[in-house]
This record gives sequence, structure tokens and C-alpha cells, in this order.
Amino acid sequence: MQAGSFFVQPILVLKDVVIGYDSSDPLVKVPDLQVFPGEIIAIAGPSGIGKSTLLRTIAGLVSPISGTLEVCGKTLPESPPRGHLGYVPQKLGLVRHASVRHNVDQGARAGTRLRKERNERSTGAIEQMGLTDKSREPIRRLSGGQQRRVATARTLAQRPRLILADEFLSELDEETLSSVLEAVTNYVRENDACLIVVEHDITRAKMMADKLLVIDDGRVNPFIKGTKALEVNI
Amino acid sequence: MRVSIDSGILTKSFLCILMLAFLVLNGMVSDWGRLTGGFGNLKNFFYQSLWPPDWSVLEPQVYPVCTARYPFEFTCSTAWIGVIETIKIAFVATVFGMALSFPLSLAAARNLSPGWLSFSSRFILSAFRSLPSLIWAIFFVILIGMGPLSGVLAMTVYTVGYLGKLWYEAIEGLSKTPLEAAQAMGLSQYETALSVVVPESANELISHSIFLFEYNFRSGTIIGIVGAGGIGYYIDLYLRFLQYDKVVAYLLIIFLVVLIIDFISIYARSFFTEDDDLKAPSWFEVIYGLGRAASNPSSFYRGRR
Repeated sequence: MQAGSFFVQPILVLKDVVIGYDSSDPLVKVPDLQVFPGEIIAIAGPSGIGKSTLLRTIAGLVSPISGTLEVCGKTLPESPPRGHLGYVPQKLGLVRHASVRHNVDQGARAGTRLRKERNERSTGAIEQMGLTDKSREPIRRLSGGQQRRVATARTLAQRPRLILADEFLSELDEETLSSVLEAVTNYVRENDACLIVVEHDITRAKMMADKLLVIDDGRVNPFIKGTKALEVNI
Repeated sequence: MRVSIDSGILTKSFLCILMLAFLVLNGMVSDWGRLTGGFGNLKNFFYQSLWPPDWSVLEPQVYPVCTARYPFEFTCSTAWIGVIETIKIAFVATVFGMALSFPLSLAAARNLSPGWLSFSSRFILSAFRSLPSLIWAIFFVILIGMGPLSGVLAMTVYTVGYLGKLWYEAIEGLSKTPLEAAQAMGLSQYETALSVVVPESANELISHSIFLFEYNFRSGTIIGIVGAGGIGYYIDLYLRFLQYDKVVAYLLIIFLVVLIIDFISIYARSFFTEDDDLKAPSWFEVIYGLGRAASNPSSFYRGRR
């Protein structure tokens, strides 16, 4: 789908949003940002500048200091859209004592209330991430890379419109990285969803994203792929 | 404000608190000389009245006539009847207590519930906990009369207060990222409780529940004294007749049951340990592990791999 098209409703809208934990010390200001179906956006910037906080605010976990934030037409954090928002935190947020299947089911449960469809989604996502033989294993026994695949499978099983991922490709070997990335980008393109990813590796961020948001000096500066500005050296 | 804690500060702080405790004790004790004769008194009492235990408590009662056949005549003994009744009271009270504690602890946990709900739930739990189970037992004996039902109700109320507190503290100690992921995905509080809170805190929830079962069993020896049923009735009876050797036999049986409960706790929790360092023992090991544990306690703990 054509990003930014006149007829297409944006999935995410941020208007004059100021982000941070303390109103006297805001971290990031986002004057205007719209994310359309099919878009993949990477957020980059130095450590501690507020990339993860921006993602957590979009996820509805931190209230913005000011401004309005809408996901799928619903205002956050007052009325979060059930199932439309998938979140992969930096520490993954998996239930460590539960099985792979349980964790993936959690995503499917957020996505649909129908038991049969839930089972199909979970089974499909586990297969897609190559975790079928591990589906009964507790998360604590998996490697870091395998755990990242579980977190990705959980999001794919949920089938959200907006995926927020905080450095979800780190700790993956090259082969797994490309398969995980391919699965997620294919999902985004095929389902008119969108992906916002915090990525510290600027080369990888440029490779996967249509738009790169660089947080610098407390402001979000968008750079569209193919423009000179994308070559900015952070 | 959060402060970083190093081991030096912790050690010095604990030594200061320990010193303060000794000073407080010193203020309460007027004559330290009374301690000197204590050990001799205990030795005399132990050999003259307590030891050896009188195991006749395991023999069948004269009335009612025992219908059990060899080798199960012990099931007609006061010790067996008392222990089984106490276990029944403790089991029912613990299960009812768990069922009531779970929603209350979810409501009381500050990482899951708004402040007003958390505060009011904690208020209820504190109220239940403020009286010991013995006082609750007296209350229920007055209310509904003597017998096991009073014991069950007394222990249930106390279990809710105690277990609710232990559980909400365990829930508040959970890593916040799985809860946040569930919240961002849009799962309801109920779904989050079942799919995140229960499996993540299962070790603590099981451990605390079994501890409460063990506690209820032990307190069953006390509440029986006020007429709320269980082995306490027989202990009280023999204490009145100064038959301390029989009381010791009951206490040793209670100790054995507590040990068995502890082994069951190890078995149950072994499925939820973080590093898999506790091997899940077979039920054979649980039942026959007591003897091995007595001779070599470390033999029960073995690496899984």
C-alpha cells in the first residue's frame, strides 16, 4: 500500500507529543508523526536519549507529558486497542517458567478470542520461527536467540496492526536474523501492518526501514529512505 | 529515593540492629542469674518426664472397638485419628484460603492494581492477619460451637490474611517486562493474572501455600486445645494429666508430618526453579527420602543434568 496516500488512514498518529518521565525534564519531542500501513520505521540515536521511552509511550505503558497519541483510531493510554498493538520489549517480556507454546498462545489470545483460530495461529507462528521441537520447553532453558524467536512468534500469532520492537534482532546469528527479519517484514507488507523498531545498528536500521527516525537533541528528525539525509552519521 | 546497597553497609546496619536488640532485651530482664540453673532443670525434666516417648499413643483405643486388621490397627489410635483430622482441617483451610487469597493478592499488588484497590485489599488482609489463629478459633468456637468446622473457619481466615500478604509481595517482585508486554498487547487483568502472574510466581505461590499448609497443621495442635478439633485435643488432654512422655510422642509425630510436607514442597517447587538446580524427585524418593535425608541431607539435592 502506498504510504502516506490521501485515502489511507494512518495506523499511528503522534501530534505535538512530549515524552519523558518528568514534565520538567522531557526526553523527546515529536511535533508530527504519522505511520501508514506497510511502513517499517527504525528509531536510532545514542544510548539513553529516549528511544525505548518513545516506544513504551507508543505502547501505552508511559503517558505522554503532553500531546495526543492515536493507534488505530484509539487514543492512548485512555482506550488501548486490544490486540492491535504488538510489543517486543528489549528484555522480551517472556514468561520464563512457562513453555514456548504458552508464550505464543498469549499473543494469539490477545489477537483473537476464538479457541480454534488461536490454536492455528500459535501452531503457525511456532512453525514459522522453527520452534516446533521446542514448543513444550520452558523459556528459561532456551538460548537468547531462541527466546527472541519466541517473542517474535508471539507477536506474529497476535497479528497486530502495529508492531513495536525494541532491538529485537540483537543476539541472533546471521542465518536466524535474516529468517526472523524476513518473517516480520513479510507479515508487515502482506497484512498492511507497520513495524517500528528501535535499532542501535544503524546499517541494519537503514537496510530494513523505509523511514529512519533519529532522535537527536531531544527532537525526532525523520529521514526518508533514498534521501541524502538518511546517510547521517550518528 | 533508591540507594545502592553494598555488603559493608548491610553488615554494619545488621550489627547495629543486633546490638539494639540486646539493649532492648537487657532492659526487659532484671535477673540474668536465672539462666544459670535453666539447663539443669531442662535436663532433669527431659529425662524424668519427657524421655523416652510413650508410643502407646499409636495403639488402638479401647473404645470404640477397633475394626481394622493387622497391620493397620494403628489407624484406631488417638495419634492417627488426631493427625488425620488435623491434616484434613489444615488441607481444607489452606485450599479455601488459597481460593480467597488469590483475588485479594492480585488486588493488593501495586504493580497490577490501582492505588485505592491495593490499599483497601491490604486493609482487609491486615485485619484478617491481626489476630492469631488461636483467637480466631476461640471466636468461631463461641460462634458455632466446638468441632473441626470452627478449626477450619479459624484457619481459613488466618490463611487468607497471611497467604494474601505473602502472595502480593511475591507478585510485586515479578519482573515488569512480561506484565508490560501483556498490557501493551491488550490482555485483560484476568488474562494477565492467569497467563503471566501465575506461571512467573508459581515457585513462590506453591512454596507459600505449602508453608501455610504446614503452618496450619502445626497450629492445628494449638487450636485443638480450645476445642476446634484435631490432635491438639489429645495433646491438651495428656498435658492436663501431666503425661508428658505421651505429649512428646505426639510432638515427634507432628515433626515427622512436617518433614513429609517439606519434602512434598521440594518436589512441587522443583518444577518451577530458575536454574534447574533442584532435581524433581520421584514420589518414591519423596516417601523414602526421609531416611536418606536424615543420614545425608545433601543426597536429596542432585543436579538435573
